[in-house]
Amino acid sequence: MNSPHINTAIAAATSHAVKSYGSGDGAIFALNDVNVEFVSGQFTAIMGPSGSGKSTLMHCIAGLDQLTSGSALIDGVDLSTLSDKELTLMRRERVGFIFQAFNLVPTLSAEENIRLPLLLGNKTGDAEWIKKVIDTVGLSDRLSHRPSELSGGQQQRVAVARALATQPRIIFADEPTGNVDSTTGTEILTFMRRAVDELGQTIVMVTHDPVSAAFADRIIFLADGKIVDEMLEPTAVKVLDRMKSIGS
Amino acid sequence: MLRIALKGVLARKTRLFLTSIAVVLGTAFLSGTYIFSDTLNTTFDQLFADIYKNTDGYVRSSQVIDADFGQEERQRIPISTVDLVRKIPGVSGAAGNIQAFARIIGKDGQPLGKDGFGPPTFGASISDYKGELWTISQGALPTKPTEFAMDDINAKKAKFAIGDSVKVVAAGGSRTFTLVGIARHGQARSPGGATFALFDITTASEFLVKAGFIDAVLLQSDGTLSDEALAAKITAVLPPTLNIETLTGAQITQEIQSDVGEGLSFFSTLLTIFSFIALGVGCFVIYNVFSITAAQRQRENALFRAIGASKRQITQAMLIEAVAVGIVGSIVGLFSGVLLAQGLSAVLRVTGVSLPPGSLIFAQRTIVTVLTVGMIVTVVSAILPALRAGKVPPLAAMRSTALDTPGSITRRVLIASAFGISGFGILLAVILGADNALLGLAILLVFIAILIAGPAVARPVSLFIGRPAARLRGITGAMARQNAARNPKRTSRTAAPVLIGVALVMAVTVLASTIRAEISDAFGKQFTGDFSITAESNFFGGFSPSLADDINALPGVQRASGLGVSVAKISISGKDTGKLVTVIDPLTVEGIFDIGLIDTPVTSLTKDGVFVSQKAALKNSLVRGSTVAVTLSDGSLYNLVVQGIYVRDQLAGNYTVSRQLFDETTVSRFDTAIFILKKDGVQDSDLRTSLNAAIKKYGTGELLSKSEYIKKQAAQVNQLLGLIYGLLFLSVIIAIVGIIITLLLSVHERQREIGLLRAVGMTKSQVRTTVRWESVITSLFGALMGILLGLGLGWIVIFSLRDQGIKRFTVPTTGTVVILILSFIVGVIAAAYPAHRATKVDLLDALSMT
Repeated sequence: MNSPHINTAIAAATSHAVKSYGSGDGAIFALNDVNVEFVSGQFTAIMGPSGSGKSTLMHCIAGLDQLTSGSALIDGVDLSTLSDKELTLMRRERVGFIFQAFNLVPTLSAEENIRLPLLLGNKTGDAEWIKKVIDTVGLSDRLSHRPSELSGGQQQRVAVARALATQPRIIFADEPTGNVDSTTGTEILTFMRRAVDELGQTIVMVTHDPVSAAFADRIIFLADGKIVDEMLEPTAVKVLDRMKSIGS
Repeated sequence: MLRIALKGVLARKTRLFLTSIAVVLGTAFLSGTYIFSDTLNTTFDQLFADIYKNTDGYVRSSQVIDADFGQEERQRIPISTVDLVRKIPGVSGAAGNIQAFARIIGKDGQPLGKDGFGPPTFGASISDYKGELWTISQGALPTKPTEFAMDDINAKKAKFAIGDSVKVVAAGGSRTFTLVGIARHGQARSPGGATFALFDITTASEFLVKAGFIDAVLLQSDGTLSDEALAAKITAVLPPTLNIETLTGAQITQEIQSDVGEGLSFFSTLLTIFSFIALGVGCFVIYNVFSITAAQRQRENALFRAIGASKRQITQAMLIEAVAVGIVGSIVGLFSGVLLAQGLSAVLRVTGVSLPPGSLIFAQRTIVTVLTVGMIVTVVSAILPALRAGKVPPLAAMRSTALDTPGSITRRVLIASAFGISGFGILLAVILGADNALLGLAILLVFIAILIAGPAVARPVSLFIGRPAARLRGITGAMARQNAARNPKRTSRTAAPVLIGVALVMAVTVLASTIRAEISDAFGKQFTGDFSITAESNFFGGFSPSLADDINALPGVQRASGLGVSVAKISISGKDTGKLVTVIDPLTVEGIFDIGLIDTPVTSLTKDGVFVSQKAALKNSLVRGSTVAVTLSDGSLYNLVVQGIYVRDQLAGNYTVSRQLFDETTVSRFDTAIFILKKDGVQDSDLRTSLNAAIKKYGTGELLSKSEYIKKQAAQVNQLLGLIYGLLFLSVIIAIVGIIITLLLSVHERQREIGLLRAVGMTKSQVRTTVRWESVITSLFGALMGILLGLGLGWIVIFSLRDQGIKRFTVPTTGTVVILILSFIVGVIAAAYPAHRATKVDLLDALSMT
């Protein structure tokens, strides 16, 4: 099933993206001229050692941070042209987020958390789609529970469902399995895989874990703010090997 | 530990600043009150010392009656006493002195001087005597019965010039005089802004009091004897039948200083009480802030404990912080008090009391008291949170911020019920006859019960109040509702200052509306005339009795009757029982003012008779024919016969006499109101015209219809009410500050959540809405509880006054609605800055927090 929002092949992209702190000789470049495209319907992983700029890259493409120079685009729209309110609305309607931890609002039920972006916009969304999403992540019997009444894995599944609820253009996941045990982690990644394969979603995931990265269709390797390599049809072993050489 | 604690204090300067605001406001109010009243007292002390500096002796009657409200009525002495005193060896000069009621009518036909809370209006004597209290600064002394002088400031204010014809109203009626001079009282252009009309001693005697009588004799010593010896000699020489006492200059100065001081102290006591209320409210804010910071610093404190700090050291650290806040806050408050004192002086100036310029008095007592109180308030408020902070177990270092659960709700409800039930138990006991004083204890117990119950009910009540928010504002409202409910202890602590403020406002409003209703009722039943002319001066002066006679003679007037009060000592069988008599004109009062006489026509009151209230009759075993001894303020004693008993005594008091009783006395008697019955067939408008003309001719007086009069009487309560509202305003400010601080800390605590919400698509405006609604719900929660407590308080106070004739209990519905609306607004205002800060939360910083 294809998401009805897709009308271009590129869900998000950056062009000559630079993010620097300070100036002159002391300037630090978190991103140093990054050019990347994320194709619709693909599961991409961004990997790299700490300080490589992978989180910064994701934050800038997702509209959570601003580039020093260059452009970041979602659906062809240059993010730097948007006001704070427009950026917020874009995040609400066209982007989905899955964070490593503290994904959910503790005072809302699981269902309210899933519908959160819709509720913020006072919309009901596509009822059939949402039911399908909830069934996919297997939470139909837990909808009225508060986050404190759910296990870590269940909480992450709620986060995944929320990310899907608005039928977004692109979903960003920041270390989604970092806080859970490996079994749950695999479960989460499987859901994300299914979201891409069965529901036509586009997912960009930042991770440092080769096993997680192997779920992706494509991996982008970052080091010192630059893209140093790309891998298609990854496996955990290939990734591990590649990471070793980047790290040295 | 001390060093670590102090470093902690400095590191969180914002929090230190915010917490200290509560202390600053309360101590500033206290400091300002002390500075202001000290300054006022000193100013007036110096004023009177200056005025009486040339007076070595003061001769006056020793017969005096003390009435309530600090009034005293003293017998007057014959003017011949002046010559007697002059002839005594040792006296170098003497002159008569008079100070009584008079009102000067301005160029616009309105009397000078403000009614109600303004300074009083006087008429006095002036002469060329060396030790005279007044000195002419412009023009000449008045020497003829048609001349008068005026005090400097009011002459300028009214734009009078030497040579103007001015109308003056006093006991002798309404007359026109020529202004021949402007005068000063010592160094002051006029004392405290009071108006003075000055006449030569003969005219003053005849016009202001009674011909041939004066208030006192001022004298100067030739130096051969000490002031005390001279005073003793004068008392010995003068005939004892005159009932004279002689004071030295120093003694009379001191007496006036302390009399004025007493009057001022009422006002400053009132201010002090309200500043302590403000400080009390501040306690809650400080307690709340320290509780929140203790919770937020759990992990840090747990770390210290894990490393080896003892519980006591943690507690001490927090107390040191409290001490720091207390010191800084008190010092700032102490000096801010100066600003407040200046503000109060400005307010006084507006009401007409002009103070001679001088510096503000900053006494040692002020410094010591304010600093001590500020410190104690802060430290005491912080003790419980500090103790709690020490109890944190080291393992808590691993936990993230804790949600404050109210502990066992059942236990809380049980304890609250215990207090509440004992409070009501005491109330029941008082209803059944126990001492009224126990009501104070009942109030305290109920208050404690509500405070303890607060967190237990905060959750359900917040959810209830927040329902419209959830419906109106969708998810943002729903989250605000949940946020207010999720931390019941914090919500109820934050709401506590609102609760207290609202409870006080509510109680006072209930009292006021009840009293208003009672007054309306009493006047409605007793006043059966068509119009009234009121004198607008509180207990001091009024209309000359001749005005009522003049009005009576107007065509269109069926009857006009003057009513007044007079200070008198009433004794029955040797026992003093009363201080005030109501004076009526039995020949004209019928059908106009009904005191509910039993079986006696009001016309039967003669000048040797007295009507007595049923209450007083029962208390003193009086029947028709009994004798009541009444001593008037001029010392004359009359044995009056009880000629009737009446039931409606709310307005008339316990003893009512005929105006004819005063015909042969030297008491200057005034009517405070004239009630008028219209002739049949006469148009209201025509009568109004002729009444207004008569009033204009006389000079003072306000014409009101019956309903206007009743409404006005009831509305007098409003003035006092306004004053109390104003004084409680500061407590409202502190409540707002409390909410702001809590919200700021709350927003800081929820940064992660805010970051998440912003990432997922909550706009800045939606973030502000959430904070705002949370604030509103908290404020309304406090208001609701406060309204309940206030109604209870009001009811208890009214109940304690049931012997005073106050029997009804009215719930002020408009007042309640206004309070709710204002609490809503308070919530919105308090949320402004925290909402703004919430939108400034850095998304990335917040998201990266663990």
